[in-house]
Amino acid sequence: MRLIGIAVVLGGWCITLAGLLMTSTVVARGVIACVGIGVSVFGILGVLNSYYLARAIWKK
Amino acid sequence: MRSLKIKAQFLLAILGVGTALCFAAPFRAEAADLSGIKGPDTAQIAAKGDPGAEMTGTVNDVTVADAKAGLTLADLANQAGQNKIAINFVWTLVTGFLVMFMQAGFALVETGLIRAKNANHTMMMNFMVYGLGLFAYYVSGFAIQMGGCAPIANLGGVYPLNSEYAVTLFGKPWALFGQKGFFLHGATYDVGVMVLFLFQMVFMDTTTTIVTGSCAERWKFSAFCISTIGLGAVIYPLFGNWAWGCGWLSQLGVNFGLGHGYCDFAGSGVVHAVGGLTALACAMIVGPRIGKFNRDGSPNAIPGHDLVLVLVGCFILAFGWFGFNPGSTLGASGNGCLRIGSVAVNTMLAGCTGSFGALLYMWMRYGKPDASMAGNGLLAGLVAITAPSGFVNPLAAAVIGWIAGILVCLAVEFFDRVPKVDDPVGAISVHGINGLWGVLAVGLFSDGRSNFGGSWNGVPGSVTGVFYGDPGQLVAQLVGISTLVGAIFTLSFLWNWLVDVFVGQRCNPKSELAGLDIPEMGALCYPDFQLKTQDYRTAWPRKIKEDS
Repeated sequence: MRLIGIAVVLGGWCITLAGLLMTSTVVARGVIACVGIGVSVFGILGVLNSYYLARAIWKK
Repeated sequence: MRSLKIKAQFLLAILGVGTALCFAAPFRAEAADLSGIKGPDTAQIAAKGDPGAEMTGTVNDVTVADAKAGLTLADLANQAGQNKIAINFVWTLVTGFLVMFMQAGFALVETGLIRAKNANHTMMMNFMVYGLGLFAYYVSGFAIQMGGCAPIANLGGVYPLNSEYAVTLFGKPWALFGQKGFFLHGATYDVGVMVLFLFQMVFMDTTTTIVTGSCAERWKFSAFCISTIGLGAVIYPLFGNWAWGCGWLSQLGVNFGLGHGYCDFAGSGVVHAVGGLTALACAMIVGPRIGKFNRDGSPNAIPGHDLVLVLVGCFILAFGWFGFNPGSTLGASGNGCLRIGSVAVNTMLAGCTGSFGALLYMWMRYGKPDASMAGNGLLAGLVAITAPSGFVNPLAAAVIGWIAGILVCLAVEFFDRVPKVDDPVGAISVHGINGLWGVLAVGLFSDGRSNFGGSWNGVPGSVTGVFYGDPGQLVAQLVGISTLVGAIFTLSFLWNWLVDVFVGQRCNPKSELAGLDIPEMGALCYPDFQLKTQDYRTAWPRKIKEDS
């Protein structure tokens, strides 16, 4: 699960980098960067943190 | 009437002389012009002294290369060059000393915000972060970050730092890390490089000290040591290189036409967001303190033990920030460095409005002005203005700080209630969230009127945000944010995961409930005080069954 989370977080960054290379339009690059940031944030809070929340000390 | 006539004649005379000077050949000083210049009589100074400072600092003090030839134009030019670099060296070193003193501020803020039973442990983490970080940065961090940054004109060029590793992908160069300056040996034994090392080192130390706050009260000291070394040796320097060491982010303007590339004047992203995101990764791995969350997931407030420490620490940090931001010009002479006045005022304003924003938010929401959140609001404003401080006007600085003050309160509530990440001092919210906000603010509010030597990151002109007509700058900042959240967080998480696997990040529950001062450090911070400690058998009943 943690490896999947890391992959999603890194994937967001890769989306942003791909946007730089795919298009030269400023607006399109900006939108793709926002999508990349969103994916990374989801990876951190939605995947990685969920893994740790499921095993949280206060749930034991 | 007569006086008016005299004034008119005088004005005409000045205009005439001015016009004559404009059309005359440019003034050229000849060697002969200088030979007649004599300084004050040293015998006279020896006899009477110089209480009015009229005879001190004259031509007598200009170093002459050849005594037989006397004073030459080359001597004067060399003296002028050395004076410029001397001013910049002194400025950069003194501001670096101020930033170093921020360590004391962080130590006080963090220690004040945790319980007394962990005070020695938290203080020692803040104390040792200086030495551990320094060592890591000396071994490899500085070289990775600044090994290919030359030339830096304000510091005399720092020409030995001239090797940057880059790869070419999809037809574009991607500069990744520096290669000169490991152990500061060889040609990097250079006066300019030394000044740069000191200044950059204290910045890195600020990053490493952010993490100690988010993991306070349950972090194993040995794990903290190893984690800090990794952050100072590799993770921080890598992003530092990309942003400040001529790395690929700083070249987004040159290579991809995005404004002036990723711009971060003093480090909202490089220092604070890197520290804040590493703090998030560590806090997730270490887990929340026992008692922070109830079984239904609702959070409990765990108040700190000394608000005096917290607020004095905030003042020290605000003072140190005058080194952090204005010092980032790396000089006070040349290349637009006189903007240090504007940078200092922006810093002051954002801190002020940040504390206002937090104070008012807490007052309106909870009915009382919260002291610790007012302090965090001040820090949030300072963190947020760190990246834009060199590029925005005072009004924008005040707005950026105000938003940061409110943002820090919202972020603290969010991390407590939604992802349930325990952050005893609010480091993730203050440094992580507001560091990212500061990076974004550059792309919004930069007014295009700063002029640091006519260009920034190799792109001519001034940094201009989207509100002043350059949407490309905003996109460059977004790419920077994505890199911080996507790449730097991942590196920090992986490193600390490894530390968790091989060393273990968290103290055992008995130590945590008793307080970490005795189990981890061997001594209480306040041995004469009677401390309140929790009995782990009542605080965590299932664990005692497992232990027994």
